[in-house]
Amino acid sequence: MASYIARRLLWTLLLLLVITAVTFLIFYVLPTADPAAQRAGRDPSPELITAIRHQLGLDKSLPAQYVDYTKNLFLHFDFGQSFINNTSVRSLIFDRLPNTLFLVLGAAVVWFVIGVSIGIISAVRRGSFWDRLLMGGALVAISAPVYWMGLVCLYLFSNDIGVWHIFPGSGAYQDAHGFFAKCWSLVMPWLVLSAAFAAIYARLLRSNLLETMNEDYIRTARAKGLSERRVVLRHGVRSAITPVVTVLGLDIGILMGGAILTETVFNIDGVGRLSFDAIQRGDLATIQGTTIVLAAGVAIMSLVVDILYAFLDPRVRY
Amino acid sequence: MSRSFLRFLVVSMLAVLTFVVAACGGNDNSSSSSTTKSSGGTTTNAAEAPAKKGGTFNMLAASDVDFNDPGHTYYTWGMVFTFATNRPLYSFKPDDGANPVPDLAEAAPEISADKKTVTVKIRTGVKYAPPVNRDVTSKDVKYAMERFFSVNVGGQYPGYFQPIVGSPAKPTKGVKPISGIETPDDQTIVFKLKQATGVSFAAALVMPITVPVPEEYAKPFDAKSPSTYNTHVAFTGPYMIKNDSKGSLTGYKPGKSIALVRNPNWDAKTDYRPAYLDAINVRTNATDANVAARQVIDGQSMGLDTNPPANILRDLVTKIKGQYLSVPSGGYRYFPMNTEVKPFDNINVRRAVMAGFDRDAARKARGGKYVGDIATHWLPPDFPGFKEAGGYDGFSDIDFFNKNNEKGDLAIAAKYFKAAGYASGKYEGNDEILMVGANADPGKAQAEVAQAQLEKMGFKVRLRLVPQDAVYTDWCQVPSKKVGMCGGAGWFKDFADPQSMLEPTFKGSLINRSSGNINYSMLNDPKVDDAMNKAALLEGDARLQAWADIDKMIVQDAAAIPFIWDKTTLAFSKNVNAVANPYIALWDLSYTSIK
Repeated sequence: MASYIARRLLWTLLLLLVITAVTFLIFYVLPTADPAAQRAGRDPSPELITAIRHQLGLDKSLPAQYVDYTKNLFLHFDFGQSFINNTSVRSLIFDRLPNTLFLVLGAAVVWFVIGVSIGIISAVRRGSFWDRLLMGGALVAISAPVYWMGLVCLYLFSNDIGVWHIFPGSGAYQDAHGFFAKCWSLVMPWLVLSAAFAAIYARLLRSNLLETMNEDYIRTARAKGLSERRVVLRHGVRSAITPVVTVLGLDIGILMGGAILTETVFNIDGVGRLSFDAIQRGDLATIQGTTIVLAAGVAIMSLVVDILYAFLDPRVRY
Repeated sequence: MSRSFLRFLVVSMLAVLTFVVAACGGNDNSSSSSTTKSSGGTTTNAAEAPAKKGGTFNMLAASDVDFNDPGHTYYTWGMVFTFATNRPLYSFKPDDGANPVPDLAEAAPEISADKKTVTVKIRTGVKYAPPVNRDVTSKDVKYAMERFFSVNVGGQYPGYFQPIVGSPAKPTKGVKPISGIETPDDQTIVFKLKQATGVSFAAALVMPITVPVPEEYAKPFDAKSPSTYNTHVAFTGPYMIKNDSKGSLTGYKPGKSIALVRNPNWDAKTDYRPAYLDAINVRTNATDANVAARQVIDGQSMGLDTNPPANILRDLVTKIKGQYLSVPSGGYRYFPMNTEVKPFDNINVRRAVMAGFDRDAARKARGGKYVGDIATHWLPPDFPGFKEAGGYDGFSDIDFFNKNNEKGDLAIAAKYFKAAGYASGKYEGNDEILMVGANADPGKAQAEVAQAQLEKMGFKVRLRLVPQDAVYTDWCQVPSKKVGMCGGAGWFKDFADPQSMLEPTFKGSLINRSSGNINYSMLNDPKVDDAMNKAALLEGDARLQAWADIDKMIVQDAAAIPFIWDKTTLAFSKNVNAVANPYIALWDLSYTSIK
């Protein structure tokens, strides 16, 4: 297992190197905003732009710039300087990463619990009123755009502009202090972000569980006199849940790059918002930094998922 | 159909219905603040209203400031905080956007008879906030202006201060002394100018470049590349951004928030500002404009950074009232036509376009009549020279551009197309016009309107939509890109003088052929340049009339289509006494108070 983990980590590093090269090419070769002109401001003289270009090393050749960037990144963990915010990209990202993690991991717990519960209920009560209601609700949750749902929730339930003043509104996370206050301010964002995922997981688990419950070993377990609850949870779900765990890992990894829409609606300073703002403003260093964070998130989470497999399925060994 | 399925359908439909009814009922709450208000409060400035001291004002903003460094900031949003926390030599009171008053200076500038020397006396008793903690001297203003020219600071408007003797023509490596700025004593600063431009130079002393910077404190920050003074600013105003004992701005979180507190060393006796508020907290990441606007309108002690979305603006003006302030922004928005690119190199083609262009449609794309007045020439309302340029009516003797053709007059357009050699009365050529616009509204909407207007006149248009910042830095400001029409540009005053409104955007000698060019039309008319050079040396009524005549010349040259004189609308909570500063057409935090 240790050698497997070591190999995967090395592959991750190589992957990140390739991603930095591709991102670099995309944003430096394709037409986007001139970083020197952005740094210079509204009405710069050509001399000022030239001087700034030299100051920022932008007058070097592209390969030289790429080498400088990669060296700083891998040796000094330096993501460069944001031309828009006049601060290091590292401080921008790592200032916001905990917020994204808090949002994503909290939502992941919510969607996993709800999704798995609904999937089990629907599978066990297949064809019943509850099955139809829950699967219909899941379809609505998958179809409703996150942004729309977030806005509707704010207009219905937020304690400043809502019809019913229940939950903290947009921007409350930033003003909350303490773990429990922050959790309370994230209730609506968690629910909004998790809605579609819970629905997908519910449907996925339902179909997997229905298939699993027809297996011979399930019939054997029942024949041995085990309670239905034990048969379903201990034997059925355990087998049916492995694809769900795979998807969970990938979803968390992808969202670590930032749940842009949720962060925007609820005014949460996360990596997603940062990358969106950076794209809007052509802040190349920040775009590169957030892309690398996203790639690293996906790579690390897929490694975690693979390791989890070994515990879920005893047949899997590395 | 089975009973369980029927039950499911009924329950689902009831749930959806409840959702929709509840969501649609939201608007009623926002009108509750308007029911007892009797006045519109459209342009009432509360500067003179009795105000009480204290309270915390919370602002929601969609974007961060450009810079805290007074030597680098150039956008009005940044200046909202610069002028609340710093004291330039001269500044504007809320009730008069045309005549600056002494701020750090003790009195009006003394301009010598030959207009080549400007002398300013610095007030005594103005002290820096911690950690600098000493009195401001004239040498601080001198250092502030010298550092402005260094590449590490990167001042953005050197043209206004290059008339100083000894000022550098190019950005300097490090901070270099300027011989033309003299400080004979701690309270006196003398500017020696190369030409007799003392009048316009004195007008430019309202700009943030004149905010004092203590050299002994700032030098280590300015030595870095780029300067880190942006996060270590020394403050002299009634407020300051929270900082630590080393001067690091702990209250400034880039892209997130700004926290202003009272400057403990500010002496109210030395300042005309009342500074009612105790603290100002700004969130600079409230990007959902609709949510932010509703939070402000329904909340307490809050304000929105700038114009609310069009739908909210309409509600404010028509229903809510009393919770908004409308301020002329002192600028214009326009569609420049590149006079060096076919077919806009033909003046009759340009005149035809100006005649046929529906300016009202472009204004609608930005939000309609509440966002500003249709422009009939260049100098905006409430600005020196506006009346001399015909006011709202404009130049009635210019048939292709006046107040009567704001919706476009294709008959007059046809006349000019024929004069250009297009017998059909529409453009018949094959030249494709490259237009570049922003990829987000309102820039996107207005670019699409411009495209449609040109196409109705027979042009082929290739519209390229790019991020807002890239529209200028990568396209419109780069002459080699040969952009035929920038899909929406804007220019707002640097100071209350018509020279700052017309010269940067239309003077041929200021064209930058590499990048950073502001003269998007590439207008290079020797007659206009000559008139500008002469007008720069005039003063008083003669100066205003001369610049009004230049306004007319630019219209006659058909270099661009001004379509709106912007207004800024500030939205705020019911319990806020909002005050706007007409110089920046945004909040004046030193006068705003909580009721």
